[in-house]
Amino acid sequence: MDAIQVNNLRRVFKSTIGVIKRQVKEVIAVDGISFNVSDGELFGVLGPNGAGKTTTVKMLTTLLIPTAGTASILGLDVVKNADQVRPRIGFIFGGERGLYWRLSGLDNLRYFASLYYVDTDVAKKRIVELLDLVGLTGREKEKVEGYSRGMRQRLHIARALLHDPEVLFLDEPTIGLDPVGARELRQAVRNMQSAKKSILLTTHYMFEADMLCQRIAVINKGKIVALDTPEELKKTVKDLSVVEIEVFGISSPHVERIRSLKIIDNLAVENRDQRQVLLIHTPMGPEAIPQLVQNLDGVRLGKIVTREPTLEDAYVRLVGGEG
Amino acid sequence: MNWDRIKKTLKVLEMSFEVQLLQNLTDGFILFGILIQPIIVAFMALWMLKDRGPDYSIFVVVGSGMTGLWTTLLFDGGNSITGERWSGTLEPLVGSPSSMRVIVFGKVLASVTQSLLSMIGCYALVSLVIGNPLTLAKPLMFLVSLIFSVFAFVCFGLIIASLFILIRDIGRMINTLEFPVYILSGFLFPIALLPDWTTPLSYILSPYWAARALHGAARGTLSNGEIMTSIGLLVVFSIIYLFLSKYLYRVILYRARVEASLDTQG
Repeated sequence: MDAIQVNNLRRVFKSTIGVIKRQVKEVIAVDGISFNVSDGELFGVLGPNGAGKTTTVKMLTTLLIPTAGTASILGLDVVKNADQVRPRIGFIFGGERGLYWRLSGLDNLRYFASLYYVDTDVAKKRIVELLDLVGLTGREKEKVEGYSRGMRQRLHIARALLHDPEVLFLDEPTIGLDPVGARELRQAVRNMQSAKKSILLTTHYMFEADMLCQRIAVINKGKIVALDTPEELKKTVKDLSVVEIEVFGISSPHVERIRSLKIIDNLAVENRDQRQVLLIHTPMGPEAIPQLVQNLDGVRLGKIVTREPTLEDAYVRLVGGEG
Repeated sequence: MNWDRIKKTLKVLEMSFEVQLLQNLTDGFILFGILIQPIIVAFMALWMLKDRGPDYSIFVVVGSGMTGLWTTLLFDGGNSITGERWSGTLEPLVGSPSSMRVIVFGKVLASVTQSLLSMIGCYALVSLVIGNPLTLAKPLMFLVSLIFSVFAFVCFGLIIASLFILIRDIGRMINTLEFPVYILSGFLFPIALLPDWTTPLSYILSPYWAARALHGAARGTLSNGEIMTSIGLLVVFSIIYLFLSKYLYRVILYRARVEASLDTQG
């Protein structure tokens, strides 16, 4: 049996505009997605901000009712059997909210253990183990308000594991963490995977998904645009080269002019401090450079590099340069 | 419901109680409200009533204690779910297997108990200091009335918390909700002083029956049978509130999952 099954899941958010003449505006956050996660698999959902990742996780964790479609966890429907699903799943959402800041880390864990009906003696033992797993041993009696962002994220992980859930949902767990904190957290995720848990991880960091996940669904504007292993996703850009051109203060007409060239497969613009980097996917490789430079007349140029495509390039191609 | 489930539910109740208490005790504003403010109020009240006799003093003390209880219930109970939403903890609570009603019950019970203990402590201390002893005419009946009053108040708190979610504007009118209940429930003066048409309104409020039982037992103005009648009505109201809250919580939690309003940040 699959740990997670999702069939044509859709979620529409409604909001009203105006005071006297009220208009209802609909936003499709998730638009008919389907996928499954096998038992013990670490499955990644990758997409830019606003792609529908968090909404998907909230529907799967029983916190949102889908507008249409179905989803089940361990064979249990997330709407009809929400009460049976909840004890068997754990979830964390990126960010620092969701903890009692004026309480100690230990008190937070004790409270959530009771909410998941974990026996007091079992909880005591498990809290010690989890504090060790997430590297918070010795800091558990301090108030959460004094924790760093990384420590709070790790406390979230410990909270999600208190009841030893079979399926875990990690929604952008490394968002906002410093590189060391993010690396430690990724190690904690690997440890969970070796404990044979089924994990759904959402992220917008390509390397993170590549490093951790067995399969990745790339989601954009509420739809799954690709679903495969990291290796297979990389193959989708095998025929292309990437030309990176550093520019200073490029205008939109210039970007559009480059984008319209026939030799261009895809173009993304990355902002880096005072400069931008044009990431140009082209089958021509270095031979495309003269034509590209010609179309950037009047723009101050920096370094120009040609390289082989990576998984990130596959992702950029799939989401149309919005990553 | 089997015994194991009851034990686990009681544990959730106990932990929600403890967490609420711990949070309140680390908040300077709340500490002022439960330690300093009641001492000032008790001192002023008992000093002014020093020459009016112990019977009058106990009426005012019980009455002001009940106003404090109602205020705590309204503010802490009313905000018990919305507060969790603002701090981002509502999602983990709803996503857990525990009942939201049990969690809110534990939280409100903690706030009400804490408010009550601070009030009793402060009045006892101040009455000793200024030499105006407070005496209860029927201490045992008073204790029984107090226990059932707290239970009824907490059950009422369950309803208030859900109404704050269902009707968001209630939160803005919180201060205007304080006084009508003080008056209609006869906390500080008998409802006989009010126009006749308000009497049925008083009868449908459980705080009225709590005030009747507590004032009656404190001053000895009611027979044991009359006090038991008030307690019986408190039990009836509590059962009604518990059943009503079961329906209300199902509605609000389902609606929050449809409207995506469990978290303020979407």
